[in-house]
Amino acid sequence: MSVTVLETKNLTHVYSKGTTSQVDAIRDVSVKIEQGELVGIIGHTGSGKSTLIQHFNGLLKCTSGTVLLEGKDIWQNKKNIRDVRFKVGICFQYPEYQLFEETVYKDIAYGPKNMKLSDEEIDRRVRQVISFVGLDESYLEKSPFDLSGGEKRRVAIAGVMAMEPSVLILDEPCAGLDPKGRETVLSLITSYREKTGSTVLVVSHSMEDISKIATKVLVMNNSELAYYDTVDGVFTHSSELYDMGLNVPQLTMLFLKLREKGYDVPVNVYTLDKAKAELEKLLKGGSDE
Amino acid sequence: MISDITIGQYYKENSVVHRLDPRNKIILTVIIIAMIFCCKNFLALALVAAVIIVSILFSKVPMKMFFKSLKSIIPIILFTAILNLFYVSGGKEWSFWILKISEKGIYTAVFMAFRIILLIVASSILTYTTVPTMLTDAIEKLLSPLKVFKISVHSLAMMMTLALRFIPTLIEEIERITNAQKARGADFENGSLIDRVKSLIPVLVPLFVSSFKRAYDLAFAMSCRCYTGGDGRTRMKQMKFGIKDIGALAFYAVSFTAVILLNKYFGALI
Repeated sequence: MSVTVLETKNLTHVYSKGTTSQVDAIRDVSVKIEQGELVGIIGHTGSGKSTLIQHFNGLLKCTSGTVLLEGKDIWQNKKNIRDVRFKVGICFQYPEYQLFEETVYKDIAYGPKNMKLSDEEIDRRVRQVISFVGLDESYLEKSPFDLSGGEKRRVAIAGVMAMEPSVLILDEPCAGLDPKGRETVLSLITSYREKTGSTVLVVSHSMEDISKIATKVLVMNNSELAYYDTVDGVFTHSSELYDMGLNVPQLTMLFLKLREKGYDVPVNVYTLDKAKAELEKLLKGGSDE
Repeated sequence: MISDITIGQYYKENSVVHRLDPRNKIILTVIIIAMIFCCKNFLALALVAAVIIVSILFSKVPMKMFFKSLKSIIPIILFTAILNLFYVSGGKEWSFWILKISEKGIYTAVFMAFRIILLIVASSILTYTTVPTMLTDAIEKLLSPLKVFKISVHSLAMMMTLALRFIPTLIEEIERITNAQKARGADFENGSLIDRVKSLIPVLVPLFVSSFKRAYDLAFAMSCRCYTGGDGRTRMKQMKFGIKDIGALAFYAVSFTAVILLNKYFGALI
Protein backbone atom coordinates (compact mmCIF):
# COMPACT_ATOMS: atom_id res chain seq x y z
CA MET A 1 0.00 0.00 0.00
CA SER A 2 1.61 3.20 -1.09
CA VAL A 3 1.18 6.46 0.79
CA THR A 4 0.82 9.73 -1.07
CA VAL A 5 3.34 12.19 0.28
CA LEU A 6 2.92 15.09 -2.11
CA GLU A 7 -0.14 15.92 -4.12
CA THR A 8 -1.20 18.78 -6.34
CA LYS A 9 -4.73 19.50 -7.39
CA ASN A 10 -5.39 21.59 -10.48
CA LEU A 11 -2.26 23.60 -9.82
CA THR A 12 -1.99 26.68 -12.03
CA HIS A 13 0.54 29.46 -11.91
CA VAL A 14 0.32 32.63 -13.98
CA TYR A 15 3.24 35.06 -14.17
CA SER A 16 2.55 38.82 -14.35
CA LYS A 17 -1.19 38.34 -14.19
CA GLY A 18 -3.23 41.12 -15.72
CA THR A 19 -0.41 42.63 -17.78
CA THR A 20 0.41 42.21 -21.42
CA SER A 21 3.25 39.85 -20.59
CA GLN A 22 0.94 37.38 -18.84
CA VAL A 23 2.24 33.82 -19.16
CA ASP A 24 0.81 30.56 -17.88
CA ALA A 25 3.86 28.91 -16.38
CA ILE A 26 1.95 25.82 -15.38
CA ARG A 27 -1.62 24.88 -16.17
CA ASP A 28 -3.92 22.55 -14.28
CA VAL A 29 -1.37 20.08 -12.96
CA SER A 30 -2.80 17.30 -10.79
CA VAL A 31 -0.36 14.68 -9.66
CA LYS A 32 0.13 12.32 -6.73
CA ILE A 33 3.64 11.43 -5.66
CA GLU A 34 3.99 8.35 -3.49
CA GLN A 35 6.27 7.85 -0.54
CA GLY A 36 9.67 6.43 -1.45
CA GLU A 37 9.53 6.95 -5.20
CA LEU A 38 12.38 8.39 -7.21
CA VAL A 39 10.60 10.62 -9.67
CA GLY A 40 12.34 12.07 -12.69
CA ILE A 41 10.81 15.33 -13.86
CA ILE A 42 11.61 16.05 -17.48
CA GLY A 43 10.57 18.61 -20.02
CA HIS A 44 12.21 21.01 -22.42
CA THR A 45 13.40 24.46 -21.39
CA GLY A 46 10.49 26.64 -20.34
CA SER A 47 8.07 23.76 -19.92
CA GLY A 48 7.38 24.70 -16.31
CA LYS A 49 9.56 22.19 -14.45
CA SER A 50 11.26 24.72 -12.22
CA THR A 51 8.05 26.61 -11.55
CA LEU A 52 6.37 23.36 -10.56
CA ILE A 53 8.99 22.36 -8.00
CA GLN A 54 9.00 25.79 -6.42
CA HIS A 55 5.37 25.22 -5.53
CA PHE A 56 6.21 22.06 -3.63
CA ASN A 57 7.95 23.95 -0.82
CA GLY A 58 5.96 27.17 -1.01
CA LEU A 59 8.58 29.41 -2.63
CA LEU A 60 5.89 30.25 -5.14
CA LYS A 61 2.23 30.51 -4.36
CA CYS A 62 -0.06 29.03 -6.96
CA THR A 63 -2.61 31.24 -8.71
CA SER A 64 -5.20 28.54 -8.27
CA GLY A 65 -5.27 24.95 -7.06
CA THR A 66 -3.73 23.36 -4.00
CA VAL A 67 -0.55 21.62 -2.94
CA LEU A 68 -0.99 18.95 -0.30
CA LEU A 69 1.95 17.71 1.76
CA GLU A 70 1.10 14.58 3.73
CA GLY A 71 -2.54 15.38 3.12
CA LYS A 72 -2.40 18.96 4.41
CA ASP A 73 -2.60 22.13 2.34
CA ILE A 74 0.82 23.78 2.66
CA TRP A 75 -0.75 27.24 2.66
CA GLN A 76 -3.27 26.38 5.36
CA ASN A 77 -1.19 28.21 7.93
CA LYS A 78 1.11 30.79 6.39
CA LYS A 79 3.36 30.82 9.46
CA ASN A 80 4.22 27.17 9.01
CA ILE A 81 5.63 27.60 5.53
CA ARG A 82 9.14 27.33 6.94
CA ASP A 83 8.31 23.88 8.34
CA VAL A 84 7.14 22.90 4.87
CA ARG A 85 10.53 23.97 3.53
CA PHE A 86 12.26 21.71 6.04
CA LYS A 87 10.12 18.79 4.95
CA VAL A 88 10.50 19.44 1.24
CA GLY A 89 14.16 20.21 0.60
CA ILE A 90 14.98 21.81 -2.75
CA CYS A 91 18.47 21.97 -4.15
CA PHE A 92 18.47 24.42 -7.06
CA GLN A 93 20.45 24.45 -10.27
CA TYR A 94 24.13 25.19 -9.81
CA PRO A 95 23.81 24.99 -6.03
CA GLU A 96 27.54 25.58 -5.60
CA TYR A 97 26.80 29.31 -5.93
CA GLN A 98 24.89 29.31 -2.67
CA LEU A 99 27.84 28.27 -0.48
CA PHE A 100 28.83 31.06 1.88
CA GLU A 101 30.36 29.81 5.12
CA GLU A 102 34.02 29.64 6.10
CA THR A 103 34.02 25.87 6.38
CA VAL A 104 32.14 23.05 4.71
CA TYR A 105 30.94 21.98 8.15
CA LYS A 106 29.29 25.31 8.88
CA ASP A 107 27.72 25.48 5.45
CA ILE A 108 26.12 22.07 5.75
CA ALA A 109 24.98 22.99 9.27
CA TYR A 110 23.17 26.12 8.02
CA GLY A 111 19.89 24.33 7.25
CA PRO A 112 19.78 22.23 10.45
CA LYS A 113 20.68 25.35 12.45
CA ASN A 114 17.69 27.16 10.98
CA MET A 115 15.63 24.20 12.22
CA LYS A 116 16.88 25.00 15.72
CA LEU A 117 18.28 21.52 16.33
CA SER A 118 20.68 20.71 19.17
CA ASP A 119 24.43 20.88 18.47
CA GLU A 120 24.82 17.12 18.85
CA GLU A 121 22.06 16.45 16.36
CA ILE A 122 23.55 18.92 13.90
CA ASP A 123 26.96 17.26 14.30
CA ARG A 124 25.45 13.83 13.69
CA ARG A 125 23.67 15.00 10.55
CA VAL A 126 26.67 16.83 9.11
CA ARG A 127 28.87 13.75 9.51
CA GLN A 128 26.17 11.54 8.05
CA VAL A 129 25.46 13.57 4.94
CA ILE A 130 29.11 14.19 4.12
CA SER A 131 29.47 10.43 3.82
CA PHE A 132 26.23 10.25 1.79
CA VAL A 133 27.78 12.50 -0.84
CA GLY A 134 30.97 10.48 -0.87
CA LEU A 135 33.36 12.93 0.73
CA ASP A 136 35.41 12.07 3.82
CA GLU A 137 35.38 14.02 7.07
CA SER A 138 38.65 15.80 6.30
CA TYR A 139 36.59 18.02 3.97
CA LEU A 140 34.55 19.40 6.85
CA GLU A 141 37.24 21.85 7.95
CA LYS A 142 38.08 23.06 4.44
CA SER A 143 36.75 26.26 2.95
CA PRO A 144 34.00 25.53 0.43
CA PHE A 145 35.64 27.98 -1.96
CA ASP A 146 38.80 25.84 -2.18
CA LEU A 147 36.97 22.81 -3.52
CA SER A 148 36.62 21.72 -7.12
CA GLY A 149 33.36 22.31 -8.98
CA GLY A 150 32.08 18.78 -8.52
CA GLU A 151 32.99 18.75 -4.83
CA LYS A 152 31.25 22.08 -4.27
CA ARG A 153 28.15 20.68 -5.92
CA ARG A 154 28.18 17.67 -3.61
CA VAL A 155 28.67 19.84 -0.52
CA ALA A 156 25.71 21.99 -1.56
CA ILE A 157 23.54 18.90 -2.06
CA ALA A 158 24.66 17.68 1.35
CA GLY A 159 23.51 21.00 2.81
CA VAL A 160 19.96 20.23 1.70
CA MET A 161 20.13 16.56 2.67
CA ALA A 162 21.18 17.57 6.21
CA MET A 163 17.69 18.91 6.84
CA GLU A 164 16.55 15.30 6.42
CA PRO A 165 13.57 16.33 4.30
CA SER A 166 10.94 13.70 3.66
CA VAL A 167 10.95 14.86 0.03
CA LEU A 168 14.25 15.84 -1.58
CA ILE A 169 14.04 17.77 -4.83
CA LEU A 170 17.10 18.30 -7.00
CA ASP A 171 16.93 20.71 -9.92
CA GLU A 172 19.34 19.65 -12.67
CA PRO A 173 21.87 18.15 -10.26
CA CYS A 174 24.14 17.09 -13.12
CA ALA A 175 24.15 20.33 -15.13
CA GLY A 176 27.61 21.35 -16.20
CA LEU A 177 29.38 18.30 -14.82
CA ASP A 178 31.62 15.97 -16.80
CA PRO A 179 30.46 12.37 -17.41
CA LYS A 180 32.29 11.12 -14.34
CA GLY A 181 30.78 13.84 -12.19
CA ARG A 182 27.32 13.02 -13.51
CA GLU A 183 27.83 9.38 -12.69
CA THR A 184 28.89 10.23 -9.12
CA VAL A 185 25.97 12.56 -8.50
CA LEU A 186 23.42 10.12 -9.94
CA SER A 187 24.75 7.24 -7.85
CA LEU A 188 24.76 9.30 -4.68
CA ILE A 189 21.13 10.20 -5.30
CA THR A 190 20.10 6.56 -5.63
CA SER A 191 22.11 5.48 -2.61
CA TYR A 192 20.65 8.34 -0.56
CA ARG A 193 17.17 7.12 -1.37
CA GLU A 194 18.06 3.52 -0.52
CA LYS A 195 19.60 4.52 2.81
CA THR A 196 16.92 6.92 3.99
CA GLY A 197 13.82 5.67 2.21
CA SER A 198 12.79 9.22 1.44
CA THR A 199 11.07 10.43 -1.68
CA VAL A 200 13.36 12.02 -4.26
CA LEU A 201 12.43 14.20 -7.23
CA VAL A 202 15.07 14.89 -9.86
CA VAL A 203 14.57 17.52 -12.53
CA SER A 204 16.54 16.91 -15.69
CA HIS A 205 16.75 17.45 -19.40
CA SER A 206 18.31 14.13 -19.95
CA MET A 207 16.05 11.13 -20.46
CA GLU A 208 19.18 9.04 -20.44
CA ASP A 209 20.06 9.98 -16.85
CA ILE A 210 16.49 9.73 -15.67
CA SER A 211 15.90 6.32 -17.23
CA LYS A 212 18.90 5.00 -15.30
CA ILE A 213 17.76 5.97 -11.83
CA ALA A 214 14.06 6.85 -11.70
CA THR A 215 11.16 4.64 -10.66
CA LYS A 216 8.62 7.03 -12.14
CA VAL A 217 8.77 9.80 -14.68
CA LEU A 218 6.80 13.02 -14.82
CA VAL A 219 6.85 14.73 -18.21
CA MET A 220 6.00 18.40 -18.54
CA ASN A 221 5.18 19.84 -21.93
CA ASN A 222 4.02 23.39 -22.73
CA SER A 223 3.16 24.17 -19.09
CA GLU A 224 1.02 21.04 -18.79
CA LEU A 225 1.49 17.61 -17.32
CA ALA A 226 2.01 15.28 -20.28
CA TYR A 227 2.65 11.95 -18.58
CA TYR A 228 3.16 10.65 -15.10
CA ASP A 229 3.92 6.96 -15.17
CA THR A 230 6.56 4.33 -14.61
CA VAL A 231 9.70 4.61 -16.73
CA ASP A 232 8.49 1.74 -18.87
CA GLY A 233 5.08 3.31 -19.30
CA VAL A 234 6.44 6.71 -20.30
CA PHE A 235 8.81 5.18 -22.83
CA THR A 236 5.92 3.58 -24.69
CA HIS A 237 5.30 7.17 -25.81
CA SER A 238 8.88 7.68 -26.90
CA SER A 239 8.05 9.03 -30.34
CA GLU A 240 5.79 11.66 -28.71
CA LEU A 241 8.60 12.47 -26.29
CA TYR A 242 10.89 12.97 -29.25
CA ASP A 243 8.33 15.31 -30.83
CA MET A 244 8.26 17.34 -27.62
CA GLY A 245 11.91 18.09 -28.18
CA LEU A 246 13.27 15.78 -25.52
CA ASN A 247 16.45 13.90 -26.18
CA VAL A 248 15.37 10.31 -25.75
CA PRO A 249 18.20 7.86 -25.09
CA GLN A 250 20.15 6.79 -28.18
CA LEU A 251 19.06 3.18 -27.75
CA THR A 252 15.44 4.25 -27.84
CA MET A 253 16.21 6.39 -30.89
CA LEU A 254 17.59 3.32 -32.63
CA PHE A 255 14.42 1.39 -31.96
CA LEU A 256 12.27 4.30 -33.11
CA LYS A 257 14.20 4.39 -36.38
CA LEU A 258 13.84 0.62 -36.79
CA ARG A 259 10.13 0.94 -36.29
CA GLU A 260 10.00 3.69 -38.92
CA LYS A 261 11.66 1.27 -41.33
CA GLY A 262 8.83 -1.18 -40.71
CA TYR A 263 10.35 -3.57 -38.20
CA ASP A 264 8.05 -4.75 -35.46
CA VAL A 265 9.96 -3.69 -32.34
CA PRO A 266 8.75 -2.13 -29.09
CA VAL A 267 9.59 1.56 -28.53
CA ASN A 268 10.04 1.49 -24.77
CA VAL A 269 13.57 0.16 -24.93
CA TYR A 270 16.11 2.09 -22.88
CA THR A 271 18.37 -0.47 -21.21
CA LEU A 272 21.17 -2.37 -22.90
CA ASP A 273 19.85 -5.76 -21.76
CA LYS A 274 16.42 -5.23 -23.16
CA ALA A 275 17.85 -3.85 -26.40
CA LYS A 276 20.01 -6.93 -26.79
CA ALA A 277 17.08 -9.25 -26.17
CA GLU A 278 14.84 -7.41 -28.61
CA LEU A 279 17.49 -7.29 -31.31
CA GLU A 280 18.20 -10.99 -30.97
CA LYS A 281 14.51 -11.69 -31.24
CA LEU A 282 14.31 -9.51 -34.33
CA LEU A 283 17.34 -11.13 -35.99
CA LYS A 284 16.01 -14.63 -35.40
CA GLY A 285 12.58 -13.73 -36.69
CA GLY A 286 13.97 -11.88 -39.71
CA SER A 287 16.45 -14.62 -40.77
CA ASP A 288 14.02 -16.02 -43.34
CA GLU A 289 14.43 -12.96 -45.56
CA MET B 1 9.86 43.11 -4.51
CA ILE B 2 13.39 43.89 -5.51
CA SER B 3 12.72 43.48 -9.22
CA ASP B 4 10.38 46.49 -9.14
CA ILE B 5 13.34 48.85 -8.95
CA THR B 6 13.85 50.51 -12.30
CA ILE B 7 17.05 52.41 -12.85
CA GLY B 8 17.52 52.37 -16.57
CA GLN B 9 13.97 53.66 -16.90
CA TYR B 10 13.92 54.18 -20.66
CA TYR B 11 10.49 54.70 -22.25
CA LYS B 12 10.48 53.50 -25.83
CA GLU B 13 8.96 55.99 -28.25
CA ASN B 14 10.04 57.72 -31.42
CA SER B 15 9.69 61.40 -30.65
CA VAL B 16 11.72 64.51 -31.45
CA VAL B 17 13.08 64.49 -27.93
CA HIS B 18 14.18 60.87 -28.25
CA ARG B 19 16.04 61.72 -31.43
CA LEU B 20 17.87 64.74 -30.01
CA ASP B 21 21.61 64.46 -29.64
CA PRO B 22 22.14 62.91 -26.20
CA ARG B 23 24.92 65.41 -25.48
CA ASN B 24 22.47 68.19 -26.15
CA LYS B 25 19.90 66.56 -23.89
CA ILE B 26 22.38 66.54 -21.03
CA ILE B 27 23.19 70.20 -21.66
CA LEU B 28 19.49 71.06 -21.82
CA THR B 29 18.87 69.24 -18.55
CA VAL B 30 21.67 71.19 -16.90
CA ILE B 31 20.17 74.42 -18.27
CA ILE B 32 16.71 73.65 -16.95
CA ILE B 33 18.10 72.70 -13.54
CA ALA B 34 19.96 76.02 -13.48
CA MET B 35 16.70 77.74 -14.47
CA ILE B 36 14.85 76.08 -11.59
CA PHE B 37 17.45 77.30 -9.12
CA CYS B 38 17.41 80.83 -10.55
CA CYS B 39 13.66 81.22 -10.04
CA LYS B 40 12.92 83.71 -7.34
CA ASN B 41 9.12 83.94 -7.54
CA PHE B 42 6.12 81.83 -8.45
CA LEU B 43 5.71 83.39 -11.89
CA ALA B 44 9.21 82.39 -12.93
CA LEU B 45 8.62 78.91 -11.52
CA ALA B 46 5.36 78.65 -13.45
CA LEU B 47 7.21 79.54 -16.64
CA VAL B 48 9.78 76.80 -16.01
CA ALA B 49 6.92 74.37 -15.32
CA ALA B 50 5.41 75.37 -18.67
CA VAL B 51 8.73 74.78 -20.44
CA ILE B 52 8.96 71.33 -18.82
CA ILE B 53 5.40 70.45 -19.78
CA VAL B 54 6.05 71.49 -23.38
CA SER B 55 9.16 69.29 -23.39
CA ILE B 56 7.13 66.37 -22.03
CA LEU B 57 4.49 66.83 -24.71
CA PHE B 58 7.19 66.77 -27.37
CA SER B 59 8.69 63.62 -25.84
CA LYS B 60 5.34 61.72 -26.09
CA VAL B 61 6.07 60.08 -22.75
CA PRO B 62 2.74 59.74 -20.88
CA MET B 63 2.30 62.02 -17.87
CA LYS B 64 1.58 59.10 -15.58
CA MET B 65 5.17 57.91 -15.99
CA PHE B 66 6.29 61.13 -14.34
CA PHE B 67 3.85 60.77 -11.48
CA LYS B 68 5.30 57.33 -10.97
CA SER B 69 8.81 58.69 -10.65
CA LEU B 70 7.55 61.33 -8.19
CA LYS B 71 5.89 58.77 -5.95
CA SER B 72 9.11 57.54 -4.41
CA ILE B 73 10.28 60.99 -3.37
CA ILE B 74 7.06 62.17 -1.70
CA PRO B 75 8.63 61.74 1.77
CA ILE B 76 11.55 63.99 0.78
CA ILE B 77 9.18 66.64 -0.56
CA LEU B 78 7.07 66.56 2.60
CA PHE B 79 10.13 66.65 4.84
CA THR B 80 11.57 69.73 3.10
CA ALA B 81 8.22 71.48 3.02
CA ILE B 82 7.55 70.90 6.72
CA LEU B 83 11.01 72.04 7.75
CA ASN B 84 10.60 75.24 5.74
CA LEU B 85 7.11 75.74 7.12
CA PHE B 86 8.33 75.95 10.69
CA TYR B 87 11.79 77.44 10.36
CA VAL B 88 11.26 80.34 8.02
CA SER B 89 9.93 83.45 9.69
CA GLY B 90 8.62 86.74 8.32
CA GLY B 91 5.28 88.33 7.53
CA LYS B 92 2.17 87.46 9.49
CA GLU B 93 2.62 84.83 12.15
CA TRP B 94 0.28 82.31 13.72
CA SER B 95 1.23 80.26 16.74
CA PHE B 96 -0.41 77.40 18.46
CA TRP B 97 1.00 75.17 21.17
CA ILE B 98 4.79 75.30 20.64
CA LEU B 99 4.59 75.67 16.88
CA LYS B 100 4.85 78.87 14.93
CA ILE B 101 3.92 79.30 11.31
CA SER B 102 4.66 82.42 9.36
CA GLU B 103 3.24 83.71 6.12
CA LYS B 104 6.65 83.58 4.50
CA GLY B 105 7.12 80.05 5.82
CA ILE B 106 4.03 78.85 3.95
CA TYR B 107 5.20 80.46 0.71
CA THR B 108 8.69 79.01 1.05
CA ALA B 109 7.36 75.54 1.84
CA VAL B 110 5.12 75.49 -1.24
CA PHE B 111 7.89 77.01 -3.36
CA MET B 112 10.44 74.41 -2.26
CA ALA B 113 8.03 71.54 -2.83
CA PHE B 114 7.38 72.75 -6.39
CA ARG B 115 11.06 73.22 -6.99
CA ILE B 116 11.89 69.62 -6.02
CA ILE B 117 9.03 68.26 -8.11
CA LEU B 118 10.23 70.20 -11.15
CA LEU B 119 13.82 69.02 -10.62
CA ILE B 120 12.76 65.39 -10.57
CA VAL B 121 10.45 65.71 -13.55
CA ALA B 122 13.06 67.59 -15.59
CA SER B 123 15.74 64.99 -14.99
CA SER B 124 13.23 62.19 -15.63
CA ILE B 125 12.70 63.54 -19.15
CA LEU B 126 16.38 62.84 -19.81
CA THR B 127 16.31 59.28 -18.46
CA TYR B 128 12.96 58.42 -20.05
CA THR B 129 14.07 59.49 -23.51
CA THR B 130 17.69 58.35 -23.58
CA VAL B 131 19.04 54.81 -23.52
CA PRO B 132 21.56 54.44 -20.66
CA THR B 133 24.38 53.50 -23.00
CA MET B 134 23.79 56.61 -25.12
CA LEU B 135 23.81 58.61 -21.93
CA THR B 136 27.20 57.32 -20.87
CA ASP B 137 28.57 57.84 -24.37
CA ALA B 138 27.38 61.42 -24.25
CA ILE B 139 28.91 61.95 -20.83
CA GLU B 140 32.17 60.62 -22.20
CA LYS B 141 32.07 63.09 -25.08
CA LEU B 142 31.10 66.00 -22.86
CA LEU B 143 33.81 65.29 -20.31
CA SER B 144 36.50 64.68 -22.93
CA PRO B 145 38.14 68.08 -22.28
CA LEU B 146 39.14 66.63 -18.89
CA LYS B 147 41.68 64.50 -20.74
CA VAL B 148 43.97 67.51 -20.47
CA PHE B 149 44.16 66.78 -16.74
CA LYS B 150 45.09 63.15 -17.45
CA ILE B 151 41.67 61.90 -16.36
CA SER B 152 40.67 58.76 -18.25
CA VAL B 153 37.17 59.81 -19.22
CA HIS B 154 36.68 56.75 -21.37
CA SER B 155 37.30 54.37 -18.45
CA LEU B 156 34.80 56.26 -16.33
CA ALA B 157 32.17 56.05 -19.05
CA MET B 158 32.89 52.35 -19.64
CA MET B 159 32.53 51.70 -15.92
CA MET B 160 29.16 53.43 -15.88
CA THR B 161 27.96 51.46 -18.90
CA LEU B 162 29.03 48.18 -17.35
CA ALA B 163 27.49 49.04 -14.00
CA LEU B 164 24.16 49.78 -15.67
CA ARG B 165 24.40 46.64 -17.74
CA PHE B 166 24.88 44.43 -14.71
CA ILE B 167 22.03 45.74 -12.57
CA PRO B 168 19.41 43.33 -13.99
CA THR B 169 21.88 40.45 -13.92
CA LEU B 170 22.64 41.02 -10.26
CA ILE B 171 18.97 41.38 -9.38
CA GLU B 172 18.36 37.99 -10.97
CA GLU B 173 21.31 36.57 -9.07
CA ILE B 174 20.02 37.94 -5.76
CA GLU B 175 16.63 36.37 -6.37
CA ARG B 176 18.21 33.04 -7.16
CA ILE B 177 20.41 32.99 -4.08
CA THR B 178 17.57 34.21 -1.87
CA ASN B 179 15.37 31.36 -3.05
CA ALA B 180 18.13 28.83 -2.48
CA GLN B 181 18.72 30.02 1.08
CA LYS B 182 14.99 30.22 1.76
CA ALA B 183 14.79 26.58 0.73
CA ARG B 184 17.32 25.93 3.49
CA GLY B 185 15.11 27.70 5.99
CA ALA B 186 16.53 31.22 5.87
CA ASP B 187 14.17 33.72 7.42
CA PHE B 188 14.40 37.25 6.06
CA GLU B 189 11.13 38.61 7.38
CA ASN B 190 11.06 37.92 11.09
CA GLY B 191 13.30 38.65 14.05
CA SER B 192 15.08 41.71 15.44
CA LEU B 193 16.94 44.17 13.26
CA ILE B 194 20.27 42.47 14.06
CA ASP B 195 18.82 39.07 13.16
CA ARG B 196 17.61 40.41 9.86
CA VAL B 197 20.94 41.99 8.99
CA LYS B 198 22.63 38.71 9.91
CA SER B 199 20.21 36.81 7.71
CA LEU B 200 21.55 38.74 4.72
CA ILE B 201 25.06 37.29 5.06
CA PRO B 202 24.11 34.01 3.34
CA VAL B 203 22.93 36.09 0.38
CA LEU B 204 25.70 38.69 0.27
CA VAL B 205 28.69 36.33 0.45
CA PRO B 206 27.69 34.23 -2.59
CA LEU B 207 26.70 37.42 -4.40
CA PHE B 208 30.16 38.93 -3.89
CA VAL B 209 31.88 35.72 -4.87
CA SER B 210 29.93 35.43 -8.09
CA SER B 211 30.33 39.15 -8.85
CA PHE B 212 34.10 38.82 -8.67
CA LYS B 213 33.95 35.80 -10.90
CA ARG B 214 31.77 37.67 -13.36
CA ALA B 215 34.15 40.62 -13.33
CA TYR B 216 37.12 38.37 -14.15
CA ASP B 217 35.18 36.62 -16.90
CA LEU B 218 34.12 39.94 -18.37
CA ALA B 219 37.67 41.30 -18.28
CA PHE B 220 38.90 38.19 -20.06
CA ALA B 221 36.16 38.42 -22.67
CA MET B 222 36.95 42.09 -23.26
CA SER B 223 40.67 41.54 -23.67
CA CYS B 224 39.99 38.58 -25.97
CA ARG B 225 38.20 41.05 -28.19
CA CYS B 226 41.26 43.30 -28.11
CA TYR B 227 39.87 45.95 -25.82
CA THR B 228 42.70 48.18 -24.71
CA GLY B 229 40.91 51.29 -23.54
CA GLY B 230 39.56 54.32 -25.28
CA ASP B 231 42.47 55.35 -27.53
CA GLY B 232 41.70 55.06 -31.21
CA ARG B 233 38.20 53.68 -30.73
CA THR B 234 35.58 54.75 -33.21
CA ARG B 235 31.83 54.54 -32.90
CA MET B 236 29.26 52.78 -34.98
CA LYS B 237 26.61 55.36 -34.12
CA GLN B 238 27.99 58.86 -34.47
CA MET B 239 26.24 61.56 -32.50
CA LYS B 240 25.00 64.36 -34.70
CA PHE B 241 24.18 67.83 -33.54
CA GLY B 242 21.37 68.82 -35.92
CA ILE B 243 18.81 71.53 -36.54
CA LYS B 244 16.44 70.03 -33.92
CA ASP B 245 19.15 70.45 -31.34
CA ILE B 246 19.71 74.07 -32.21
CA GLY B 247 15.95 74.66 -32.01
CA ALA B 248 15.69 73.05 -28.58
CA LEU B 249 18.69 74.96 -27.34
CA ALA B 250 17.22 78.26 -28.59
CA PHE B 251 13.86 77.49 -26.92
CA TYR B 252 15.58 76.89 -23.59
CA ALA B 253 17.80 79.96 -23.95
CA VAL B 254 14.78 82.22 -24.58
CA SER B 255 12.98 80.71 -21.62
CA PHE B 256 16.01 81.27 -19.41
CA THR B 257 16.07 84.95 -20.39
CA ALA B 258 12.37 85.19 -19.59
CA VAL B 259 12.97 83.67 -16.16
CA ILE B 260 15.66 86.26 -15.43
CA LEU B 261 13.35 89.08 -16.55
CA LEU B 262 10.45 87.73 -14.45
CA ASN B 263 12.78 87.59 -11.46
CA LYS B 264 13.79 91.18 -12.03
CA TYR B 265 10.35 92.74 -12.56
CA PHE B 266 8.23 90.78 -10.13
CA GLY B 267 10.52 90.76 -7.14
CA ALA B 268 12.11 87.99 -5.15
CA LEU B 269 10.09 85.81 -2.87
CA ILE B 270 13.06 84.14 -1.30
